[in-house]
Amino acid sequence: MATVTFKQEDGSETKLQDVSGNLMEIAVDNDIAGITGDCGGVCSCSTCHVYVDAAWQEKVGAAGSDESDTLEFVDSCKPSSRLGCQIEVYDELNGLVVEVAPTE
Amino acid sequence: MADYNDPFQEARAKCPVFSGRFQAGEIIPMILRLKDVRQAAKDHEKYSSDAPRRVPIPSEEDVRTVRQYPLEVDPPVHAEYRKLVEPFFLRPRQPEVLEKIHNLLDGLITQALEADKTEAVKEFAIPMQSHALTYLLNVDEKEADLWISWGIHVFKDGDGKSKGPFMENYSREMFEAAEENPGDDFFSALNQAEFQGRKLTMDEKLGYANIAFAGGRDTIIHTATRIISYFADYPEDLERIRENPKLVNTAAEEFFRLFIPLTHIGRVCPVKTDVHGVEVEAGGRISLCWSSANRDPEVFEDPNTTKIDRKPNPHIAFGFGIHSCLGAHHARAIMRGLITKLSERVERIHKHETQELIEEEADYTRKVGYEKLFVTFDAR
Repeated sequence: MATVTFKQEDGSETKLQDVSGNLMEIAVDNDIAGITGDCGGVCSCSTCHVYVDAAWQEKVGAAGSDESDTLEFVDSCKPSSRLGCQIEVYDELNGLVVEVAPTE
Repeated sequence: MADYNDPFQEARAKCPVFSGRFQAGEIIPMILRLKDVRQAAKDHEKYSSDAPRRVPIPSEEDVRTVRQYPLEVDPPVHAEYRKLVEPFFLRPRQPEVLEKIHNLLDGLITQALEADKTEAVKEFAIPMQSHALTYLLNVDEKEADLWISWGIHVFKDGDGKSKGPFMENYSREMFEAAEENPGDDFFSALNQAEFQGRKLTMDEKLGYANIAFAGGRDTIIHTATRIISYFADYPEDLERIRENPKLVNTAAEEFFRLFIPLTHIGRVCPVKTDVHGVEVEAGGRISLCWSSANRDPEVFEDPNTTKIDRKPNPHIAFGFGIHSCLGAHHARAIMRGLITKLSERVERIHKHETQELIEEEADYTRKVGYEKLFVTFDAR
């Protein structure tokens, strides 16, 4: 179980405690604004796009090739971009902070 | 090009584009590989949608008089046009709308379970699509009775006679009726909408209605019948979903990838353009070939194998970029509901006589769905 913080562009934050599993599903289940996970987590859309906080990038890791290919054409993509559906939250990610990317 | 499910296999391996011949001898370079299609879909300056009635291939100059909104416009106006109707297309996310879709599917499945034989196109998929559209547009469900009579495709069904003019007249009447008695429906909303500080013209409103009726019609109908047919052929996958309902989402996405009824869509080159080595004159068209991109072996392992647990599955069955399908939420809600309900209530689907619907162009032949699909459902 982990605590995950979702930041919004306007500076607001939502801290979720005792969560685990797929980051996109965690966000959708908790009504995090800006994350809809339209494709259900197969990396086909980018409606779970987040920026991983600098302190967590190494631990979360880089995007895989399918994920990178999808992100490549997203206008708001940055080096810290990941698709939430490709991140599994487990104990080691306790304290994870991500920012919800703007909707395309 | 023997396989009518993936007629572009050989061409795609050889070259990024395939020059296909279409109506009136028009040669259209078809972009075949996933990454190239995504790139082209993002580049609206090079590949424009500002081409009324010429974005679909074949073009629809003979079957409708209006430009479709927001499909046939480019940025910067595109975003504003799209925003006006987006709330309706997000309605399937609302629990009460989703519940109506599920009740509709339950009713259709009950009917099929009680019948000895069901023709799944006319007796299942067309009523399903028509009724579900009333929920999306938030209009009286009785309107579905008329829409059902339009058949699979409003522009090219059955006798080959387009129902386009009839649909335009009907839409005009709906806008006029909504003007008299405004409500919370799609037609009233467009009557009241403001675009750049003015009301929409009737042609603009008709353009929205046109794509709302035509865009998600044959696509939804064909996807549903192909899913029904698939489960008749592969009952073990229905069983797997029954045992593990989490597979519903991945199965739906895999069916969208493989069964995409829309082979491709067009864009117009505003100036002379080099398209991966093929020259297109100013005003000429190219095709974004979704159906080929979705079987690109560089991206999808065993692309012609249906894997209901495929993940990742970065398909572009709903297009890509700013013009990505407005009806995607609706389509996903319906197909996920269909798969769920079939797995919960149907033990086995038996397939009888079928008549496939084949898209035949000069240079390729592709299966897009069924004209007729007779099935029997066994209850669990």
